[in-house]
Amino acid sequence: MANSSMSRRHFLNLAAGAGAGMALAACGSSGPGTSGSGGGEASYWFLTAAPGEQIRTNAVNRFNKDNPDSQIKHTAFENDAYKTKIRTAIGAGQAPTIIWGWGGGGLKSWVEAGAVDDLTDWFGQNAAVKDRLFPSSFGAATVNGKIYAMPCETVEPIVLFYDKRAFDKIKAEPPQSWGDIMDLVPKFNAKGIAPFSLAGQSRWTNMMWLEFLFDRIGGPEVFQAVFDGQKDAWSHPAALDALTKVQELVKANGFVKGFSSVVADANADQALLTTGKAAMMVHGTWTYGSMEQEGGDFVSGGNLGYMNFPPVDGGKGDPSDTVGNPAQYLAISSKATAEQKETAKKFFSTAVLSDEEQTEWLNTGGVPIVKGAESKIAGSKDPEFLKFIYDTASNAKVFAQSWDQALSPTAAETLLDNIAKLFQLSISPQQYVDNMNQAIGK
Amino acid sequence: MTGLAPPAVQVRTATGQAGGRGGSLWWMALPALAIFVAFGIIPLVGVLALSFTEWDGIGAIHPAGFESWRAVLADPGLPHALWVTFLVMALSWAFQTPASLLIGVFLAGRQRYREILAVLYFIPLLLSSAALAITYKALLDPNFGLGAGVGVPLLAQDWLGRDNLALGVVVFVVSWQFIPFHALIYQGGVRQIPVALYEAAQIDGAGRMRQFFSITLPQLKYTVITSSTLMVVGSLTFFDLIFVLTEGGPGDATRVLALDMYKRGFQANLMGPASAIAVILVLVGLVLALLLRRLGGRDASTSQMEGM
Amino acid sequence: MSTTLSAEHGAGVDAPAERPPAGAGGVWRRNWLGGAAGWLWLVVVVVPIYWIVITSLKSRTTYYAQNPLAPPSDPTLENYRSVIESDFARYFFNSVVVTLGSVVPAVVVSFMAAYAIVRGSAGSRFLRSVNVLFLMGLAIPLQATIIPVYLIIIRLHMYDSLLAIILPSIAFAVPLSVLVLANFIRDVPKELFESMRMDGASDWRTLWSLAFPLTRPALVTVSIYNGLSIWNGFLLPLILTQSPAQRTLPLALWTFQGEYGVNVPAVLASVVLATLPIVVLYALGRRQLLSGLTVGFGR
Repeated sequence: MANSSMSRRHFLNLAAGAGAGMALAACGSSGPGTSGSGGGEASYWFLTAAPGEQIRTNAVNRFNKDNPDSQIKHTAFENDAYKTKIRTAIGAGQAPTIIWGWGGGGLKSWVEAGAVDDLTDWFGQNAAVKDRLFPSSFGAATVNGKIYAMPCETVEPIVLFYDKRAFDKIKAEPPQSWGDIMDLVPKFNAKGIAPFSLAGQSRWTNMMWLEFLFDRIGGPEVFQAVFDGQKDAWSHPAALDALTKVQELVKANGFVKGFSSVVADANADQALLTTGKAAMMVHGTWTYGSMEQEGGDFVSGGNLGYMNFPPVDGGKGDPSDTVGNPAQYLAISSKATAEQKETAKKFFSTAVLSDEEQTEWLNTGGVPIVKGAESKIAGSKDPEFLKFIYDTASNAKVFAQSWDQALSPTAAETLLDNIAKLFQLSISPQQYVDNMNQAIGK
Repeated sequence: MTGLAPPAVQVRTATGQAGGRGGSLWWMALPALAIFVAFGIIPLVGVLALSFTEWDGIGAIHPAGFESWRAVLADPGLPHALWVTFLVMALSWAFQTPASLLIGVFLAGRQRYREILAVLYFIPLLLSSAALAITYKALLDPNFGLGAGVGVPLLAQDWLGRDNLALGVVVFVVSWQFIPFHALIYQGGVRQIPVALYEAAQIDGAGRMRQFFSITLPQLKYTVITSSTLMVVGSLTFFDLIFVLTEGGPGDATRVLALDMYKRGFQANLMGPASAIAVILVLVGLVLALLLRRLGGRDASTSQMEGM
Repeated sequence: MSTTLSAEHGAGVDAPAERPPAGAGGVWRRNWLGGAAGWLWLVVVVVPIYWIVITSLKSRTTYYAQNPLAPPSDPTLENYRSVIESDFARYFFNSVVVTLGSVVPAVVVSFMAAYAIVRGSAGSRFLRSVNVLFLMGLAIPLQATIIPVYLIIIRLHMYDSLLAIILPSIAFAVPLSVLVLANFIRDVPKELFESMRMDGASDWRTLWSLAFPLTRPALVTVSIYNGLSIWNGFLLPLILTQSPAQRTLPLALWTFQGEYGVNVPAVLASVVLATLPIVVLYALGRRQLLSGLTVGFGR
């Protein structure tokens, strides 16, 4: 019957289509995506965005060239997505061999889940690798007295960047105190320039403000108490003062319009500074490289100014204190094969912070955490800025790690949520304190 | 539904005659059942089970009794998420329904350009929610977007940075995407209304407005219910759009239930409480579905052709 | 939700309504409130689309310099080139595989189940329960089950594969598909089935030779509806895949935007490229889609 042969053919077509679909899907699944499958090829995940992405890629390429038998495959993810992605991967048992991170609380949660290897012994046997690095960088890599990650890349304090042209326009000097900042705000607004650029949606950028205010007003003990899990640590008067001051700044339109929806990942906040829409920006020194590359002639034309965050009048904190990332950290997944771990370790000892890599970092405005780096500064492209970073970092009485990296991921999330609401003016400083006190020790 | 399909009702009840057929047909439903159970029902049970555990996503799963539930129910974030979800649902319904109705009626007419309009209207539906959110994020940027470029201050507001505005934007984008779909449903519904009703009203001297309210609207009752059901139940599942557009922000102004669940689970690494929220999400969905069925399902077989 | 379907109204969309022509008798004079709404909405729809297209043809500097609504002074394809160079073809291919690999099985198994439910419910409590189960499934939001699905996929060693996206997608397409298809099959006159039975045809044959051709409009509807929602799916790829090699288009768009968000023209070019295939399909198959949809959800 014509009808039934037609329908049989239809059915066979459908079945073929479905089968082909499934087959292709299955092929896809065994493709190069899965890590931990192919022999000794190690995988390495890190962040996107200039200039770091390129420098890390170059390091991997150099290693691969020198080690044809042990290759490393790299993948880059953007900042906020990376933090979630790496956890889903670890949870699925598909973490990359080399895991890039910020150490601190995040690393601790990986250690507690048994996801990363203890490297203490390896460092003991390879003392040369350990000794060439800044000793202070190992702090955030240590959990319960053991080292679980290799420090790498650069030391990155948070500083106050500013656009010299904007200050010329209002004929003023960069702020020397918090009072100066509040004075400058209406002046910039009158000229149609936003006083501060800020990527509010990323939240950790807002956090940098609080980190400084807490320290400048009350000293490092205030947050240390939170970190140590002391009850009601957030109720410290300095904390309330800092929170109130930040809200004053928001209410005075101190931040660029729409800051709550600006995202840091694509360097949108930096763009506001380099295009002259904002006068100042509190950010990490890692942004220097991207501003240089993507900001046209902003940096090369000498328009970028930088300084340590100013003190607050009457504050207890030492004005030399700083906050930020003491280094970046590479951990090795415990689920990787022995071969892959060997490749990773070889990468650590031969390729990480090689001379070429150091030069690349220096040329993009970063100070590698290698002893003796300061002597190379003079010969680099931006000696002034590098010297500034080096001095800031080494002269700081206290170099505190970024809060969201120091705390556990769960506590960090609560922190960031509340900070977002604080900047949004949806909660009062007291409510913030109450909310955060409840989250202590989690 | 209108009573224009009487055969449907008959077939339903008369299938009983087939008797023993059921015995030999059951296997045909197996594949669908199998995969639905595997990836639909089992995860549903799993969510309930997980809500009684404590898990951070990478370590081991520890049973934790009611801990996660207690944490969730005590958290002010939950009523807030429920409220935001309700707001989004209600506002998008309130905006989409009259608009779709009017446009559907318009499309049912015989305008010359109807064809072209229909093509253009449908394009928003073809975009993925991610693409849509990305587009609007760029378009509404107060510093680099459309408003700023054109120089109209009203358009250059901090759309995504102020709580109320962000919520409004979400509702608007959702409507932008789905109004064509619902307009089409209404168009179909309007087409079914017999002209005779209008003619009779005309003879009785009823004006255009009167006709609209006394004939068009009542005849569209079931269409309204279908469309509203799709809208309301669908709005519970909004995730992609809001995630890409605002990520629940600013602060938590657009943090609907589904987003709250994701953030609790995958960003705060509290899988137990996240699962509790998931259970709540399912319960809300079930309640809504039942409610709407009550509202519309009962009278399905009554004819609207009485008196003809 | 009762969606009764009727085959005879399938051609409803483009057939002229039974109304007297505009001029005669004045029964249906111009509906200017609806008209105003219609035209206003047209503007609201067209402006963003227009903006997307022209911006994607501008270079980044032109975009900042020019009025956003003005057409590009020197249109360039560099944005499209950079999008394609970032592995666009791969993401497109993944989306195609996932969509076909989900829609075809979903529609086939739903069709079989719908047939069984309509034809066999009376005599089988099993089939009646299955029907109720599917109806309840309509109320389950996909997002709610994502965490256990993640766990299941990991245990099955399917994490970071396209199959991980396909299987849950099929499962979630089943309830609505079964509902729509069942409603449609119900409208097929009983006598046709009886005559097949009297000819000695097996159920399998009846399914494919009789029900299949008659149900075609609803099958098209269901395929298109599911296809569209799976093609545009975001949550499943987000959670269940990680490598760029397994990325589907919506996820790729988001990642691309995350990296190049400041480069608005490039981001919009990626949006255009990702949507173009569907727009083309739509242009070709519009009639099918529209008639199918009104048949499926009408009244």
